[in-house]
Amino acid sequence: MAKGNIINKLFASGPLILLYYLSISEIDTNLEKLFEVFSLNLQIIIIYFWIIKRPNLMGTGHIFLVGLINDVVMGFPLGISSLSYLVICFVGNYVRNKSVNTTIASDWFTFLIALLLANLLFFSLLNNFSEVAISYSKIGYNTFFTLFLFPVFWFLFNLYQISFIGSQDA
Amino acid sequence: MSVSRDDFSIAFRSALLQRGASQKFSILSLIILALIIFFLDVYGFQVVKTTRSIVNDLVYRVTYLASTPTRLFPSINEGIAGHFNLKKENEELRQVIEKYKALDLNLEYISNENKNLKKVLDTEDVEKVSNKILAKVLVDRNSPFLKSIIINKGSKEGIIKGMPVTQNRYLVGRIVETNYLSSRVLLLNDLNSRIPVTFDEKSTQAILTGGGTREPTLSYLPEGYQFEEDITVFASGKDGIFTAGTPIGKTTDYGAVKLFVDPNQLSFVTVNLIKPSKEVF
Repeated sequence: MAKGNIINKLFASGPLILLYYLSISEIDTNLEKLFEVFSLNLQIIIIYFWIIKRPNLMGTGHIFLVGLINDVVMGFPLGISSLSYLVICFVGNYVRNKSVNTTIASDWFTFLIALLLANLLFFSLLNNFSEVAISYSKIGYNTFFTLFLFPVFWFLFNLYQISFIGSQDA
Repeated sequence: MSVSRDDFSIAFRSALLQRGASQKFSILSLIILALIIFFLDVYGFQVVKTTRSIVNDLVYRVTYLASTPTRLFPSINEGIAGHFNLKKENEELRQVIEKYKALDLNLEYISNENKNLKKVLDTEDVEKVSNKILAKVLVDRNSPFLKSIIINKGSKEGIIKGMPVTQNRYLVGRIVETNYLSSRVLLLNDLNSRIPVTFDEKSTQAILTGGGTREPTLSYLPEGYQFEEDITVFASGKDGIFTAGTPIGKTTDYGAVKLFVDPNQLSFVTVNLIKPSKEVF
């Protein structure tokens, strides 16, 4: 019984562990060796999906910390990724409060709003208060591929949720 | 109408301020905290700089450890492939040994000659004088926005911002952030990288501009300049940062430079402990 409980807790912590691992490790979703313009912000997809579906698995304190770690590893000013992730959390929370039942289409549309708001804040802060220059075309491609691949990860995470955590929505 | 507005404001406030069972902090409080940290970091207060330096050293080490499995898998793969190529490799190595045996005959003569020449020049201690540091690449995370690597040597070894970084004498980039035990190197293909270069027999001057892509491009060239392929590009040293004559890459016919060192394949680099004549980045 206790063993089963530990395994369940481990499965429930899976998304958070993945989020921490993506931020602190060298693993990236920037496959420019295969396709020069391809880059994807998987952290944002993970945060949005699990905030909408299972907010109890994604503590905002953890998301804040993940953002800080990401900034240190990537070399961005501290706090900027945290801000963008918290904006995603805010939109996710708002959508969850306003909607009774969500579908992939509604999640995809609201994800677009969350992504645009988060990226707008991220790049306007970086542009106005930091000396780091960033290519606008790269931002565009990153936003496009993140949005475009959201349904794929939605299915994968949904499958994980049904298989290992339980199908009940928040 | 007013009901709808109330509904909106309740959902909005709830999303910002609500704390659930596992949510120990409200989003609003964390957003304010993140903004404070951001502005403290951007405006560079000394306390924040020192704290960040310590945090950087700590996180880079953890990142290095966390990335061990990702480094291990390719090496296992290479090991298996190498096992199947053993016979072929053995034959090639035999040929190399024969070649080196022949070269070895000349070595003693050359060594003696070298010693004698050193005595003449009175430079016996040349090899002990070193202004270079070999550093291991700790983190090489491929970001779509910033092209940089983290190395395992920092201000403890005398590294300061702006120092040039090379591999096999080819320019790789420059130091843009130093911590006590680690440093960040801005690679030549980063959007923020600008290097004065010189090339061809006319010593044409240009700026090598990173664009976030694999190959940086040449800009500020003389009017009507026609690009030619396979011309070696060197650092001109006019910025007082890079040593003049450091090779960088070869030109292409479309105005880009194919770097001698692949920025995605760096394991060890050399930091040249040359104090830049001006503060950079």
